[in-house]
This record gives sequence, structure tokens and C-alpha cells, in this order.
Amino acid sequence: MHSIDYDIVIIGCGPAGAITAREAAQNGLKVLLVDKRQELGAPIQCSGALSANALEDCGVDASTEFVQEAVYGFSVYNEIGAETNLDYRELKPEKYGTGLGQKPLGYVVDRRRFDRYLVTLAERAGAEVWLKTEGLGYKPLDDGTCEVYLRKFNKEISIRTRVLVGADGLQSQVGKWAGLQTHIKMTELASCLQFVVDKVDTNGLLEIITGHEWAPGGYAWVFPKGHGYAEIGLGVIRTMTKENAQWHLDHFIKNSFLKERLQHARILEIQGGGVPLAAPLRTQYATNLILVGDAARHVNPITGGGLHTALTGGMIAGNFLAGLIHADQPATAENLKGYQENWLDKLGNKMWQLYHTKKEIFETKDIEQRNRMLYDTMADYFNPLSSYKKV
Amino acid sequence: MKSNTPVLFQIGWNACINCGACVAVCPQDAGFISAFDTIAVNTQCDIACMVCEDICPVSTITHTQNNEFYEEGL
Repeated sequence: MHSIDYDIVIIGCGPAGAITAREAAQNGLKVLLVDKRQELGAPIQCSGALSANALEDCGVDASTEFVQEAVYGFSVYNEIGAETNLDYRELKPEKYGTGLGQKPLGYVVDRRRFDRYLVTLAERAGAEVWLKTEGLGYKPLDDGTCEVYLRKFNKEISIRTRVLVGADGLQSQVGKWAGLQTHIKMTELASCLQFVVDKVDTNGLLEIITGHEWAPGGYAWVFPKGHGYAEIGLGVIRTMTKENAQWHLDHFIKNSFLKERLQHARILEIQGGGVPLAAPLRTQYATNLILVGDAARHVNPITGGGLHTALTGGMIAGNFLAGLIHADQPATAENLKGYQENWLDKLGNKMWQLYHTKKEIFETKDIEQRNRMLYDTMADYFNPLSSYKKV
Repeated sequence: MKSNTPVLFQIGWNACINCGACVAVCPQDAGFISAFDTIAVNTQCDIACMVCEDICPVSTITHTQNNEFYEEGL
């Protein structure tokens, strides 16, 4: 058997890849983390909202390096502007607020700074990081290891490793290399667009606007973005509308019940992305390979939130791989199935339930009834007394 | 499926926001991508399902039909 270069190679330096790397390196593995870009976090395809629990769960401090604004709750609107206000400063003042002994419920983060911060944690834990390095393919070898083909600053390199981790996001190619069915159905990929704007007031809440009129198949949002800025965006399912996300965002800003508040908005940044409101991948592993984060569709199908799930998934993956490799077990598909089982146990089964709820809502033909179901579900989901297990 | 004739996609780069949604819905095998996180623009697509055009938040993907390739059976 040839000597290996790294225990694991991770493709993609987003939150899922970086936390997988940090966990694995902390547990003594030799880790290589690569990304094809020269800067991390950009182009931004995300609102940047995540709960304080998400950071706590993976032991990351809410550093001023990446936090743009602390948030304290939600405001959920129906299509004509009736509101369920879920301000945790009022609902649970013993815990949430800006005073002594109180804390934020969550944060809106700058993905450029956040992703770089997490990669720094991975590096400090001992992982090696190569930027301007793209993955070209991989090949399992007879001795149980595999070869990963990379291109770094135009130079082609072959790396011998035990496990390749695909953390390469929504447009994952790594899963396709292994023949996994990673492409997402049109009916389950929200087409999203958002503007970072000036001159829109916010009050520390994540505002969620439901209703087929504004965001067919998804919802619209107004989030605080720090320093007086806000984020206005929405996601739509294209099989449910003739118009694109850009048209819907324009329609929402100009014509919704929030139009007076939004009328002076000045656009500072334009960001977009696809958000899978899909079931998790049924198979997230293959010989010498696992997927994490958006690449494995680890995204909350109700909220479209993917940061908490990426971080938690990275924790599970990093720890699992450390256990497997320290036990000297080969990275067969059979053995790597254990990663998916851990993931289902800790997170995935809850996500499957949310997926079924989401499916029931959007398969409802009657628009008024569907609007009501989505509004009620969102208002319930973000309620502190909710029976939903948040993910 | 809106068309079975192979097509070549064009991206209006001026409007493209590099969001990757077109790649995420694309049923092609690995590698049907451009250097800018979009579907491939220099390779013919013989699936021609056009879901990439539909998902694009800013509608900046178009195509031309590639009858020549089709007729030659390439």
C-alpha cells in the first residue's frame, strides 16, 4: 500500500467543508481543504441568518469579525399584512435581549467574513488549506484508498487519500463523480434573489412574508443587515409562476403591503442563488466519498436555512471520519453508510418530517388554503412554544 | 421536455449573478459547467430540457438549436 498524503481531502471551503475540516483535524486527522476561488464566501448566495444555537452547537463564538447584526425574533406576515409578532425580547425576556444576562436569538452574518473565519478555525486546528484549487475527479484504488485529481494555479496534482468529502455546494460536481443523483428537481429548487439596501428600517427581527401573490412556492423576507442596512429578498418555485425571481422581487417591493417602507430602498448589492426545498439526498456516500452541506441538500425545507444544517452536518462528518480512520476501518461505501446513519439520527429524520410538511403545503391546489397553511406553519415554526424541533 | 433537438446555451454575462442555480437543476453528468459556475456554454446539450433557463433568477440563459450537430448524428 502506498503511503497516503492526507487522511481526508475536502472540496469546498464553505461552512460545511470548514467545520468538517476543523473537527477532523482536531481529532488528529491529516486534512486538506481546497477551494477553487481566491476569496471565500463570495459570490454571496445566502441571506446569512442563523440562530445563536447553530454557533453554540459547533463551538463557534459569535465574533464581531463576521456578525453584522444580532436578531431577537421573527415577524411572520400573511399575504395581506396580518402579522404574527414573535419578538423573543418580549416572549422570553429572562433569556433574550440586549441587557445584562440576556443574549441574541440569532445573527445575520457577512458570509465573506464568516466563511473566512471558519476556515481560519480549520487551519488553526491543523488542516491545510489551498485556495485557487479545483477538483477534477477521483478514483478509488484497489488498496482501499483513492486518488483525488486537483488543479492548483493551473498545475494538475494527484493526491492519495482515504476519504474525499464533497462540500462543493448546490452545484456539486463531486457527488456526480460518484454517480450519485445530486441534481435537484425544478419543483424543489427555489430561485432566489435579494438586494442589500440602504434606507429601509428594521427592528432586530427576521421578517417573513408569505403568500402566493408575493413569492409563489416560497416566501419573501426583510432582514436587518447591520449599520442601518437591510436585506430584501425572496424565493420562488418556477413551476408555480410564469415570472422569474427578479420580476417577483420588483413586484413585492413596489406593490406589497410593505411598499411604503420599502419605497426609498437604495440597492447596494445584488445576490441570488438556488435554495433546495428538497428532501435530503437518499444516498450521501459512495466508495471513498461522502457529501456534506448543500451538496447533500442539508437544507431546512421549510425555512430554506442551510447554515445551521451545514455546521451540524460538518460536525457529524468530521467526527465520524475521525472515528472510522482511527479504528483503521477502510472507507468502503458500506462503512461510510454509518455517516449517513449518524446524520439521519441527529438531524436528517427531523428534516424528512419538515420536508413532508412542506410538500403537503405546496401540493395544496387551492391558493387561499395554501397561503393559510404556509402562514400558520411559519408562525408556528418560529414560536418558542412550537412543537417543531428546530434544525 | 420542451425540445429534443440538441441546443447550445448562451449566458448573458452582464445579468448573470453567478448563483449556480442552473447547475443545480441540470441533469447532465459531471462537468457540464462553465468556468463561471454556470451550465456549459461551449458544449451542445442533447437533453435540452431547458430547466436551467427556467430556474435562472434573472432569466439570462438562452439557446440556439443545434440542428447541424443533430442531423450529423454527433
